[in-house]
Amino acid sequence: MSTQAKWVGQALERAEDRTLLTRGGHFIDDLTLPGVAHAAYVRSPHARAKIRHIDASRALDHPGVYAVVTGEDVAQFTRPQRGRVPLPNSPRVYAVAYEQVRYVGEPVVGIAAVDRATAEDAADLVQVEYESLPPVLDPEEALKPDAPLVFEEIGSNVLWHDTFPYGDVEAAFANADLVVNERVTIHRYSSTPLETFGVMARYEPATHSFTIWGHTQQPAQDLHVLAAAFGVSPGQIRLIIPPMGGSFGNKVRPLFIIAAALLARKAGRPVKWIEDRRESLLALGHAADGIMDMSAAVKADGRVLAIKFRNIENEGAGIDFAGRHNLLMLSNIANCYRLGAISYEGYSVVTNRCPVVANRGIGKPFMCFAVERMIDAVARTLNLDRAEIRYRNFIQPEAFPYDTPSGQTYDSGNYPEMLRKALALVDYDSLRREQAKGREEGRLLGIGIATAVEPGGSNLAYGMLISGPSQLLSGQGEAARVRLETDGTATVFTGGLDSGQGHATALAQIVADELGLNVKQVRVPTTFDSASHPYVMTSGVYSNKFHGHDTVAAIGAARKVREKLLQRAGAQLEANVADLELNDGRIFIRGAPQKGITIAQVASRAYWSLADEQPDGEPGLEALYYYSNPLANRPDDKKRVRVQLGFASAAHVAVVEVDPETFEIKILRYVVIHDCGRQINPGIVEGQVHGATAHGIAAALFEEFTYDENGQLLTTSFMDYLKPTAADLPDIEGDRLETPSPLTLLGTKGVGEGGAVVAPAAIASAVEDALLPLGIHISALPITPSRLFEAVSSGMKLYEKRK
Amino acid sequence: MSEKISITATINGVQHTATVEPRRSLVDFLRHDLGLVGTHVGCEHGVCGACTVMLDGRTVRSCLLFAAQADGSEVTTIEGIGTDEALHPLQVAFQQHHALQCGFCTPGMILAALELLRDNADPSDEEIRVGLSGNLCMCTGYVNIVRAVRAAARDGNVR
Repeated sequence: MSTQAKWVGQALERAEDRTLLTRGGHFIDDLTLPGVAHAAYVRSPHARAKIRHIDASRALDHPGVYAVVTGEDVAQFTRPQRGRVPLPNSPRVYAVAYEQVRYVGEPVVGIAAVDRATAEDAADLVQVEYESLPPVLDPEEALKPDAPLVFEEIGSNVLWHDTFPYGDVEAAFANADLVVNERVTIHRYSSTPLETFGVMARYEPATHSFTIWGHTQQPAQDLHVLAAAFGVSPGQIRLIIPPMGGSFGNKVRPLFIIAAALLARKAGRPVKWIEDRRESLLALGHAADGIMDMSAAVKADGRVLAIKFRNIENEGAGIDFAGRHNLLMLSNIANCYRLGAISYEGYSVVTNRCPVVANRGIGKPFMCFAVERMIDAVARTLNLDRAEIRYRNFIQPEAFPYDTPSGQTYDSGNYPEMLRKALALVDYDSLRREQAKGREEGRLLGIGIATAVEPGGSNLAYGMLISGPSQLLSGQGEAARVRLETDGTATVFTGGLDSGQGHATALAQIVADELGLNVKQVRVPTTFDSASHPYVMTSGVYSNKFHGHDTVAAIGAARKVREKLLQRAGAQLEANVADLELNDGRIFIRGAPQKGITIAQVASRAYWSLADEQPDGEPGLEALYYYSNPLANRPDDKKRVRVQLGFASAAHVAVVEVDPETFEIKILRYVVIHDCGRQINPGIVEGQVHGATAHGIAAALFEEFTYDENGQLLTTSFMDYLKPTAADLPDIEGDRLETPSPLTLLGTKGVGEGGAVVAPAAIASAVEDALLPLGIHISALPITPSRLFEAVSSGMKLYEKRK
Repeated sequence: MSEKISITATINGVQHTATVEPRRSLVDFLRHDLGLVGTHVGCEHGVCGACTVMLDGRTVRSCLLFAAQADGSEVTTIEGIGTDEALHPLQVAFQQHHALQCGFCTPGMILAALELLRDNADPSDEEIRVGLSGNLCMCTGYVNIVRAVRAAARDGNVR
């Protein structure tokens, strides 16, 4: 445990805020270089077509244009993209379309010019001749034998397919009193970071090296993707990631960096590209849409013995996240429940839609939605209360650590208490009375419940379920370096990145406790630089990994520095290290606080006085620590693997009223009881819960990427893709439950994705409950007034996927 | 390309004269010609509010105006609202209430909140939510932004 918990646990103001508040921070579009050119792209107007001919001569002749890059160039100068998880049968994907286009908005020609407007002018002068082909858009259609092939070279539209039998499912079904079947779907949406994707690339021909300022959430992996694409050493690429204006799993598109780097190489000058909003909605990436068929074996008392799942994920026309939605869903497939057996069959299917990315929670919002819809369906079938069905199936508090059928180890939790607290906060019993009374008056009031695990920290060995045991990438960890400066302050470098989560503040709190410093004496740079920051291949900001990885790496490095510091102080004070105490920037002899020395004095000698005898054999006061999570395992012979490594949890209760005439859905109350274990900074945690929950509510009620039958995206602006405003969202009430994880150093569990995982299920549950008098069953999202009206007026009993 | 035009505007109290292309947007002029990069670009079609600045005392979307339209006007951006040494009360409230995460919407949000409180010194939560509904925040779910604006209004120091 931490030496003194003076700063950890406090809702301190964030160190990041002042710059953002007074001058807007330092984002990528705020950076520039002398002579920088600006890029624009010609993008495909077709969902599927052969490129017959490209004539870019008029664009090249346009005044102010420096370079043009086409598919021929990328095929000549770069290798096809290496997927994050290598596929056994991988399609060839390049940064710019080569010979074919596969989705509307795919980059076809890149142009670098003196400014963005000139580049866009030149883009209009490029003539591309296409041979349009019929697209395939629906994942079930894509599975049919005569379906058009998105990538002809792999012979089908299935990137990956596998089955996972966990436990004796057939015995559970034989033992069941009834079987409940459900089919639910999830749509395409995205958390749409307010800052779009950006990159600035510089090429140095003499050393064949690149300096890249740009966006990613996995700097080490992307650095290696770039190195592989250009056939250079990772050491020939310097990757600098400034703070990002949100990312949410979206800004992981190394192809965009490759294209800019190639333009810079051809233009002979640095090139900057800032995606515009239309490009972002068209092509940055969406959460996968999917279709889930489920079958549950249920006892008459409501106990769910087993669930069979069959999931088809639509990955769009990309390979970057192939299979990953499917596999990450194995982390929350049991959700909060004692399921004895589970079977899962997953398909990852390509279509002529935008490639998918890891939007907040990747896959888990759909899995949570599916399981919670099933639990509500079981309650409805047995005429049980929705809270009661959950109490009967919860994993009990004394059962932790708890191993689920798919091999997850739930570290801690108290699900019954979590739900009780949520129901008490909304006053559930009186709400039910109000609902009954309201129904007599024709009011449609609904109370929705969703309880869920919120996995944190992915074990990248799960990719072995796709690529086999020879995959190099495995585990989860982080790297950190702590340096004590000559003035006695500390600087912390990690492989983590800043996309708004306040990690610099949280790390400062942790390290200040370890080194007996004031939190303001610990600085954490928010710009990652591969030339100065340590990293491991799992480094970055994703999968709720900060809580148990970045934290531990920073503590490890701080403790190594502390040991060096105490050794040096002991030598200078002529005292045993065991007799020393460290507090308030001073080291002193226990019981004799007047006999001491400041950290600044020790640090100064460590760097300045190299002729001193060096107690630990080297000058300086700096330490590097690489952490790898010991829970991370490899898939066993039953395909069980700890896909994720920590399990926070939450109970959401939504109270809604549906207007019986307009079908407007109003959220009257929204309550979250959240358990992420020990909290480093409760102010930051609360903000993460609010923001993620808002994403989940927005996905359930507002946001959808819709395509027409030709594969044209119809939602290419914020006029069509509906983001909720402050007037559209409810206050989010709540409280915390704190069951510290016994498996992390600080007792922390993940936070940040959770609200987005749980809220869609809670909203669907609430709207279905409100519509009980009409008997409509919700199996799809988003739930919009117009589509509800259509469903009700046409006498349908199912609110289902848009045809 | 048509001829450049000359404009003079007072930006955060300082008079600037510049020649710009007629198609230069006000936000690109502020960011790229004057280096005032605190005003952000989120959508370039007038929905997200990240580019909100004050033009002659009222909020505008600087992505939907040409720089030429600011000729003869006073423009206030986030850089003219408070300093590191003396934060504006709204900036203090945003920091205290964790009303920002990535911070990309924050400059526009602060300017929108400033106009809101100048028009209505004691707004209800509902009025705050409606008053800020022209500015999108993708991080906070707005809960802490509403709290911060309410707190700043309660303290009564917003001018």
